[in-house]
Amino acid sequence: MSTTTIVIPESLNNIHIYVLDLYRRFAGLPGASIVIGYIKASYKDDPLRSVFELALLLFAVKYFLSSKKQANKPTLAKLSEKEVDDLCQEWEPEPLAFPLGELEKWQLADIPVTQGSVGPHACVDARDVLNLASLDFLNFNSNAVIKAAAKQTIMKSGVGACGPPNFYGTQDYHVRAEEDLAEFLGAERAMVYGQDFNTNTSVLPSFVKRGDLCIVDSGVGVSTQNALKMSRCRVQWFNHNDMDHLEEILQELQPGLAEEKPITRRFIVSEGLFVNFGDYPDLHKLVELKEKYRYRLFLDESYSIGVLGKTGRGLPELFGIPRSSIEITTGSMALAFASSGGFCVGESDMIQHQRISSLAFVFSASLPPYCARVTSTALHLITNGDLTSEAESKIVASLNTKSESLSELFSSDRSLQPFVLVKSIPLSPVIHMRLSPKYREMLQLPPVYGGPQSAVAQAWSRGLEAEYFLDETYNLENFLLSKIVALCKSRDVLITRSKRILHHEVVSMVPELLVCVTDGVSVEELAIAFHVVKESILAVTQQVNNHTAFRRLEDEL
Amino acid sequence: MKSEASKIPNAPPDNFTPAERTEREFGRLTSKEHLYVSQHISSEPLPEPIMDEPPYFILICTYLNYLILIIIGHIRDFFGQIFYPADFKALTGQNGLAPWYSGFESFYVRRLKMRLDDCFARPICGAPGRFIKCFERITDKVNVNGSYHYTGDVVECLNLSSYNYLGFAQSSGTCTDAALASVEQYGTSACGPREQIGTTSLHVECERVIAEFVGKPSALVFSMGFGTNANLFTSLVNSKCLVISDELNHASIRFGVRMSGASVKVFPHNDMEALEALLRAQISAGQPKSHRPWKKIIVAVEGLYSMEGNLCNLPKLVELREKYRFFLFVDEAHSIGALGPNGKGICDYFGVSPNKIDLLMGTVTKSFGATGGYVAADTAVIDRLRLDIATNVYGESIAPPVLAQIISSLNIIDGKVNPGEGTERLQRIAFNSRYLRLALKRLGFIVYGADDSPVIPVLLFLPAKMPAFSRMMYEHKIAVVVVGYPATPLTSGRVRLCVSAALTKEDLDRVIEAMSEVGDKLFLKFSSGIAGGAKKKGEAPRWALDDVLANTARDCTISMA
Ligand SMILES: Cc1ncc(COP(=O)(O)O)c(C=O)c1O
Repeated sequence: MSTTTIVIPESLNNIHIYVLDLYRRFAGLPGASIVIGYIKASYKDDPLRSVFELALLLFAVKYFLSSKKQANKPTLAKLSEKEVDDLCQEWEPEPLAFPLGELEKWQLADIPVTQGSVGPHACVDARDVLNLASLDFLNFNSNAVIKAAAKQTIMKSGVGACGPPNFYGTQDYHVRAEEDLAEFLGAERAMVYGQDFNTNTSVLPSFVKRGDLCIVDSGVGVSTQNALKMSRCRVQWFNHNDMDHLEEILQELQPGLAEEKPITRRFIVSEGLFVNFGDYPDLHKLVELKEKYRYRLFLDESYSIGVLGKTGRGLPELFGIPRSSIEITTGSMALAFASSGGFCVGESDMIQHQRISSLAFVFSASLPPYCARVTSTALHLITNGDLTSEAESKIVASLNTKSESLSELFSSDRSLQPFVLVKSIPLSPVIHMRLSPKYREMLQLPPVYGGPQSAVAQAWSRGLEAEYFLDETYNLENFLLSKIVALCKSRDVLITRSKRILHHEVVSMVPELLVCVTDGVSVEELAIAFHVVKESILAVTQQVNNHTAFRRLEDEL
Repeated sequence: MKSEASKIPNAPPDNFTPAERTEREFGRLTSKEHLYVSQHISSEPLPEPIMDEPPYFILICTYLNYLILIIIGHIRDFFGQIFYPADFKALTGQNGLAPWYSGFESFYVRRLKMRLDDCFARPICGAPGRFIKCFERITDKVNVNGSYHYTGDVVECLNLSSYNYLGFAQSSGTCTDAALASVEQYGTSACGPREQIGTTSLHVECERVIAEFVGKPSALVFSMGFGTNANLFTSLVNSKCLVISDELNHASIRFGVRMSGASVKVFPHNDMEALEALLRAQISAGQPKSHRPWKKIIVAVEGLYSMEGNLCNLPKLVELREKYRFFLFVDEAHSIGALGPNGKGICDYFGVSPNKIDLLMGTVTKSFGATGGYVAADTAVIDRLRLDIATNVYGESIAPPVLAQIISSLNIIDGKVNPGEGTERLQRIAFNSRYLRLALKRLGFIVYGADDSPVIPVLLFLPAKMPAFSRMMYEHKIAVVVVGYPATPLTSGRVRLCVSAALTKEDLDRVIEAMSEVGDKLFLKFSSGIAGGAKKKGEAPRWALDDVLANTARDCTISMA
């Protein structure tokens, strides 16, 4: 390699740091103050810009002066080659991946494998089961119109898009899906991403940088937690859906922020329907607070689009608030739309900036065109062909009725109350049930697992794999829930459970049973399913009704 | 809200018969002589990539070019903010909110990239095979937010831009039939995360097929290549581990490593001596401050670098791995399918056993006409990853039609389906890559990369030449991708040609003719000859076009000198 290749720091963000550093060094030079004074005067508030140009000039000079041979950096310390050789010989790495222990292996077998189509019914382990584990809320995966649209698109465009969006990877179907999403949601513009889980991690860091501020609901899902981690911003957590706590934090921060110049970007971050709880925030209050304290609102509507609101337009519709009050909305197309990928909607400038600088958009291939088409088709099915229609969507209403009826059955059942607690709101198609605090106390289970300062968090920061990969009690409580799931399955009802991983999350958690309603399942089937689930919960909880019995479960692993 | 006029029109119907359509997506082979087997001959030393340098005045012009652009950009910013404040509202902030992004951060994009915005994100319709159909679009005033009007027409261009190495971007044939059948049988979605419900028998089969194809015991498949890397490292390493990364590694690898919180060290691109020195220093010094030994060290490289066309030095990496016992991660996004006598990527090309590489990652986006990524490794590793990778637990599962596309295309390459077809595709991409590369070198272009690489970067240097080149090629009805800063170093703007097995030699002749003409007009033929292509040793290669077309097809199968 010749030295003519310049190493450009990995992103513009880093140039900032690089330039700042250069600036500081430069300021130390004799006579620099005159030059700096001059530059500062010419670009009053943005000296970095001038330095950038200066750096360009300096680079040009350096290029011509640089010698052809780059000296290798001297190796650290004053070890002799022989000593280094010995140290390299002695070094013993840990295994690449921490091996699954005997106590964990059951989790592999616990992943259901379906044969054929995943619809209201599915074939698991050669049994036909009623499927209450699917997130295909509107039953579009079995919809003939959706299938026909997908097939038609594949016969036109093939499967893959074969290129990033900016390099001929954008097809008419992508543009159409973006237009449709924007129109349906009442936003200026929309853009689609290749995978839902990587949408937030790429959207948020496009705007929120080191030094910026996010006030975040402590119930947000992993993709948002990761987005915060990647943006390296300051994070303040408020208690889940606790608007008073949020306001308290906003008030407390206000005096410091008022003095900041230039003002930093500030966001309040929440979800439409929480993936971890199946409930939603008080949007009126959120909007009021963000306007009062001058924040922007970031809302992940993955679980609420197609579910909440009269026409499935999500949380703002439920509250009668215009979409424009939410600066950034993200969501998934792999749930209610039975497609793949994620999306982001909002004002034009914000979207345009992402198209050029959002990592998972710029450095990844486009979504397959048929997925974009499926999204468009799903939107037309939801709105009955008119994307701006205000008329109630039949399919969304039907889903809502079913979710509410099943939720009602679970939360009103007296015999279940000592054992399980329903956390989700009735409109949530995913019913979240956790073991009741009293029952958990009986088994001597901790109130929550993980979270800041927990043993897992400490093990993570100290790199102790054996401790952060396996928390025995958490593993055992999950196993207890899996027994309920297995019992249901043996009676031909497939439900599922949360499989959250402690070391991936910075918030604390309690394992849950998840019963997912889709529109393809009839009310009668839901009633049958309710009985099966109820009996299974009772059977297992009665069998394991004290600490000793709980600990004995370990023998079954 | 968008006005009707700026919405994308429906694709106009074409009048091709199915046979014509097939031919326009994948051109029939015109001569058995246009085939070649891509393989490194193990007795030969690894050719060091030679980076030719332009004459000094080109570099000086490049800097001046940037300087002028920057000055004009500032002048426009200055007056723009006074006279067109509405166009600058994203930069100034409103209602007491900070601007979406700072003027400094976005200066490059607004003032340099927007000038060639029309060369990016041209929407297309139809499968991006041998030809692609681009929508015509126009923009009226100074285009600040990338909005266009569509005329409703489409222009059919020869495609040197898509990642379609083996020509599987097709809308008919075995793979399409498999994808259509899977829609019927499985639907369009897997309906949830892998661990909850999203694992169908098709997923199990696809992972088995991928593992077998790349020669590893187990594999995992995901719906996005970027997401595969972005979420992989957190499950393997932590802050007490070290990842040593090539400086030109893809953004997704850097993203994933940063997410994991592991320490990162970067070595100069492909510099094995520097890597060894770094390894020795790091292993002997251990972690910073505590000086405890590193718990693990992963060396992350790519098989084929997509902006340079360089291969990694796999034989040397494997040797270092034996000696220093780090774990080797190879991202085969561009090399899987595209390299090696059997299309099995970089190991196949160098004749190195896949056992010598700990993590074989790749994407199915570039060679197989699908979308997504995979990781293949030992079963113990994959078992942990299966339970621990965040996407498997919290994210969408890869959809059935994509799985069907992967399985069927891999089976074709392996010769299990349509025997002979896979071999032809592999040998066509190998020939096409060498043919185009040698022809361009002979014409006098500066071309980067390895001889057998299907990625052919041709250097333009001056930022002003990027849009000029792209537009002139577009007028010749050839679609190319130009890339500049920040994807490349500031001074080496380039056009990146992606060769495909779908192209015929005659298609490439068209490209060579057009490039020769455009190259003369834009003054791009200034190579020194050190990277090959010269008629006589020591001479600068400046072959006449006819001469190139007459001799290169035969010569490129013999020697690339
Ligand atoms: C080396 C490398 N890794 C990963 C990716 C991402 O793959 P995908 O486009 O499937 O997201 C790319 C794509 O550009 C790549 O070049």
